[in-house]
Amino acid sequence: MAALQEKKSCSQRMEEFRHYCWNPDTGQMLGRTLSRWAWISLYYVAFYAVMTGLFALCIYVLMRTVDPYTPDYQDQLKSPGVTLRPDVYGDKGLDISYNVSNNRTWTDLTLTLHNFLAGYSPASQEDNINCTSHKYFFQESFRAPNHTKFSCKFTADMLQNCSGLVDPSFGFAEGKPCFIIKMNRIVRFLPSNSTAPRVDCAFLDQPHGDGRPLQVEYYPPNGTFSLHYFPYYGKKAQPHYSNPLVAAKFLNVPRNMQVVIVCKILADHVTFDNPHDPYEGKVEFKLKIQK
Amino acid sequence: ARRGTGTEDVGKTDTGDGKEKYRGLKDKRLELKKNHQKEELKKEVDLEDHKLSIKELERKYGTNIVTGLSSTQAAELLARNGPNALTPPKETPEIVKFPQADGAILCWIAYGIQYFNDKSSSLDSVYLGCVLALVVILTGIFAYYQEAKSTNIMASFSKMIPQQALVIRDSEKKTVPAEQLVVGDIVEIKGGDKIPADIRLLSTQGCKVDNSSLTGNLTPSLRTHDNPLEAENPWNKMSTSPVGTATGMVINTGDRTIIGQIASLASGVGHEKTPIAIEIEHFVHIVAGVAVSIGILFFIIAVSMKYYVLDSIIFLIGIIVANVPEGLLATVTVTLSLTAKRMAKKNCLVKNLEAVETLGSTSIICSDKTGTLTQNRMTVAHLWFDNQIFVADTSEDHSIFDQSSGTWASLSKIITLCNRAEFRPGQESVPIMKKVVVGDASETALLKFSEVILGDVMEIRKRNRKVAEIPFNSTNKFQLSIHETDDPSDKRFLMVMKGAPERVLEKCSTIMVNGQEQPLDDSTAEAFHTAYMELGGLGERVLGFCHLYLPADKFPETYSFDVDTVNFPTSNLCFVGLLSMIDPPRSTVPDAVTKCRSAGIKVIMVTGDHPITAKAIAKSVGIISANSETVEDIAKRLNIPVEQVSKRDAKAAVVTGMELKDMSPEQLDELLTDYSEIVFARTSPQQKLIIVEGCQRQDAVVAVTGDGVNDSPALKKADIGIAMGIAGSDAAKNAADMVLLDDNFASIVTGVEEGRLIFDNLKKTIAYTLTKNIAELCPFLIYIIAGLPLPIGTITILFIDLGTDIIPSIALAYEKAESDIMNRKPRHKKKDRLVNAPLAIYSYLHIGLMQALGAFVVYFTVYAQEGFRPSALINLRVEWEKDSVNDLEDSYGQEWTQYQRKYLEWTGYTAFFVGIMIQQIADLIIRKTRRNSIFQQGLFRNKVIWVGIASQIIIALILSYGLGSVSALNFTMLRPQYWFVAVPHAILIWVYDEVRKLFIRLYPGSWWDKNMYY
Repeated sequence: MAALQEKKSCSQRMEEFRHYCWNPDTGQMLGRTLSRWAWISLYYVAFYAVMTGLFALCIYVLMRTVDPYTPDYQDQLKSPGVTLRPDVYGDKGLDISYNVSNNRTWTDLTLTLHNFLAGYSPASQEDNINCTSHKYFFQESFRAPNHTKFSCKFTADMLQNCSGLVDPSFGFAEGKPCFIIKMNRIVRFLPSNSTAPRVDCAFLDQPHGDGRPLQVEYYPPNGTFSLHYFPYYGKKAQPHYSNPLVAAKFLNVPRNMQVVIVCKILADHVTFDNPHDPYEGKVEFKLKIQK
Repeated sequence: ARRGTGTEDVGKTDTGDGKEKYRGLKDKRLELKKNHQKEELKKEVDLEDHKLSIKELERKYGTNIVTGLSSTQAAELLARNGPNALTPPKETPEIVKFPQADGAILCWIAYGIQYFNDKSSSLDSVYLGCVLALVVILTGIFAYYQEAKSTNIMASFSKMIPQQALVIRDSEKKTVPAEQLVVGDIVEIKGGDKIPADIRLLSTQGCKVDNSSLTGNLTPSLRTHDNPLEAENPWNKMSTSPVGTATGMVINTGDRTIIGQIASLASGVGHEKTPIAIEIEHFVHIVAGVAVSIGILFFIIAVSMKYYVLDSIIFLIGIIVANVPEGLLATVTVTLSLTAKRMAKKNCLVKNLEAVETLGSTSIICSDKTGTLTQNRMTVAHLWFDNQIFVADTSEDHSIFDQSSGTWASLSKIITLCNRAEFRPGQESVPIMKKVVVGDASETALLKFSEVILGDVMEIRKRNRKVAEIPFNSTNKFQLSIHETDDPSDKRFLMVMKGAPERVLEKCSTIMVNGQEQPLDDSTAEAFHTAYMELGGLGERVLGFCHLYLPADKFPETYSFDVDTVNFPTSNLCFVGLLSMIDPPRSTVPDAVTKCRSAGIKVIMVTGDHPITAKAIAKSVGIISANSETVEDIAKRLNIPVEQVSKRDAKAAVVTGMELKDMSPEQLDELLTDYSEIVFARTSPQQKLIIVEGCQRQDAVVAVTGDGVNDSPALKKADIGIAMGIAGSDAAKNAADMVLLDDNFASIVTGVEEGRLIFDNLKKTIAYTLTKNIAELCPFLIYIIAGLPLPIGTITILFIDLGTDIIPSIALAYEKAESDIMNRKPRHKKKDRLVNAPLAIYSYLHIGLMQALGAFVVYFTVYAQEGFRPSALINLRVEWEKDSVNDLEDSYGQEWTQYQRKYLEWTGYTAFFVGIMIQQIADLIIRKTRRNSIFQQGLFRNKVIWVGIASQIIIALILSYGLGSVSALNFTMLRPQYWFVAVPHAILIWVYDEVRKLFIRLYPGSWWDKNMYY
């Protein structure tokens, strides 16, 4: 500050600055002559080139050490996350509300489901094989074409009433909406020891309205994810893999009031009690059906 | 009764009169205050009272010299004029110092805005704002605490015992605290008392006063009566009266005393910003400039990349936070106080922490003479008798001159007898030179001299009983006493006399040579004058001695001497010899002056003393070096008039206050630049101020040393004021930034060395601190441009700035100097900056960039091994941060919930943090030196560095493994191998810097040296 506080007029300062920008006596530009600028630029170019090279080398070495099929660590992926379709997020988490009598309020929701299930059309599942074993589908070698592994087929029609094929409105029109629950993929994750993981939906707190528990129809039956969809071997090994889905059709959602529904995945190795992560092993959502 | 009515009358008239006077005083004070900064204040102080008669005084002050004031009058006056105490100097409110961390406050405000704009946004921002505010407050409090601690030392140090005064009130003698004295009080002073206020002497019995704290001289100058500072009467507050008793009337109290006026002159002088404060400010400007320009640049980029404005503002804040070295204020404070502590151990007490460095950049020292360069103790230096000059060195073997001569026997007797000074009883075990003496400075010197050479002086005096005495006074200029001799067979009286040599010689008709009396002829008178001139030319105070044995027939044993009528002869005496005294320089001073010279520091002497004395002392301590001459010297040598001497030939100059008075500022500038060795003599406090200002106009950093009250304005004006701890007055100590506890000028040299070292080390500290800013900044830039998940969070950055980096940066303060710092010139205030372009560029664009790359490697490693390859990360930001995406796919097709990603992001923060930390270890090691190789400096010589490195690692371990579960801190437990990913980069940094230093050493002055040496 002291240097600035010296009484210099504005024009003097401008003059000084101009002199700094271009000094005709020494041929200096911004404190350096042109050749000096060239030299210093050359140095920096060289220096940064070397640095970039070294950095690239580091990243290259890193990529060489990383396994292309399986991640080295899955510290955060001990238990899969669960997502819901249709997914409309409010201020705090999923928040779905619509009016039965006004179809404009739910066409977006059904559209989301249609779009989501487009990936499960027979055409897009063409490359996958049909599995029926209901046991873990372990594949140690790459027997599928192009040095990949097989993936099991999951088509929309497996969701029956909630497939959108029978009822394009997914039950929204009649106030018994379908929701699709998806479990996140984790490479080589085995959800349970023997029984298939199952979806279980219920009101979060207490029964609402008339005090009856939530009545749910699950598709596929029992709301299970068949074990033959597991383990997942990663994108490179299973490029056509599709997550198995479970659809839940809620039959007795009270009208004109907001209810909170939680759908958990019941399996030996899926936990849903992480206080920090609301989407781990379960999905919670608010639902309000107006009439 | 007459007196009584008189008092009443005066009492009555006093009310109006007093008020008038009071108003006058008040006006004067107001005026004084108004003109604090103006030149008028530099006028000499003016007092008239010493010219008034006692009657006039009584009338003026409404008092009576016998009965004193009445208690009610006194109480009234006290209430009106306030206590007789100096107003303590105002302290700057400490809160003012807080906004120093303005960058952080800005962040807080910005976060506040963000919070109010969008209440639903995560509480993280508010939390961070609080943390930042806390940082600001804590560092502020910390700096304040450190400052206050050192100020407290000072406060306890300067605490004075409450002074008492003996005052006559209601016709009774009372002891009251000196604070309660009022104008008009009649006070009695005993030998050894401090004068409690400005008083006008009414009567005195052999009382002298030591005004040295006021004028800077050892004895009051008797030359002029016009200047109250130098007049014999009145006496001034704070002076001490070493001998006799006196009665006086208080004419001024408190701030209105001469002392008070000087003190207000001192407090009126604005304190200049310390050079280090200027440097830190300069540094803050650079950092702020970089932060703001990068911030705005990226704000524009962000906006043009279609980020939300609010997001862009957050980026802006992130960039600023990354750029502000939050911990630096605390670091600098600690570093300075560490040095201050180290200096305190070497008897330099630093009052103002920033002054620690100021001493290092000092280029001119204006030193007071008395008490600083000299011992403030008169000592006999030379003797002249038998036509010969002898050196008297009482500090060593005392038989260096011929003591067999009969003249010496006579001379020694006169010295012993014609002396009123006495040792204070009860000091048998104290060495002679340290004994406390009741008596004035010259008599003390003579007493000690004779005690050393002859033994028990008191015993000799007892044997030669004193029968009559005429004490010294300024009209006679001699002192005379008549004694019985110790020879029982000799019934004659011995009259001894000492005084100003020319006066003494006038009274003599004979001279003693080799013990024989000879008539005083022209040749002996000539010899006397030569000797007198020679001793006087040495700057010494010369006294002449003579004696006379009074014939027994005219003056029998029973003769009654009357000193008032002088019924004895005072002429035709026998001249015995001359003796000269000087206040000798401190033994450590010449060496210290030489060291200052070699360190490129100009030492100027500024004294109130006589030019000849000043010059002699300057020569003996090396301020004027042996082979340099003044214009006058050359003129004398060449025997030509002074005007004909070319000024270029003279290196030294002696300038008196009178000459200085007539000089224009330009002439003073010329003087200061033309001569390398300058002595200012006979200067007033105001002129000292002018000299200091003159030096400061030369862009010099000026240190002023002094002990007296008269020095305090200059001490305050100086860039660094250095007061003497033992001899120094409280006013001087208050005005000073530093106090030399042992009064040793040589301590200044230590201070300069420490100050220069701290400057070098602060440079290293700042370079160290700046480097990581780039590593903290790059993540934001990459985040904005390439859309990577945020590599490092703001809170994590704070943990680097205020956690891992603090102790290492302090550790650099313990670094030893790379070369002999006392052999280089003081830094130029405006050219050698603390933070210069090469430092900033090298830190930011070289090491900082390497660090950023290294830290990014750690970051990419963590993400890649967890599933996100670098290619997948690019432009992932939007999806990554969306709360509504809970199935984000990674490179392996795995799907991540928002929290899982967040946790990985924190792991990334931790990894980036560890990457920076590891490389900061290398940075710390390379910053140990700027030119030498680390191996030349010694890797393990500074143990504190290793403490710093250990602390860095331990703090990081605690953060990751201990606090990894506290989600608010954004740390996670990092896999052990990630701690080592950045190690190759750390080694690369070390190697690169060694190469840099190698080329700097190999090719000094080259392109490389200019661009790479900071």
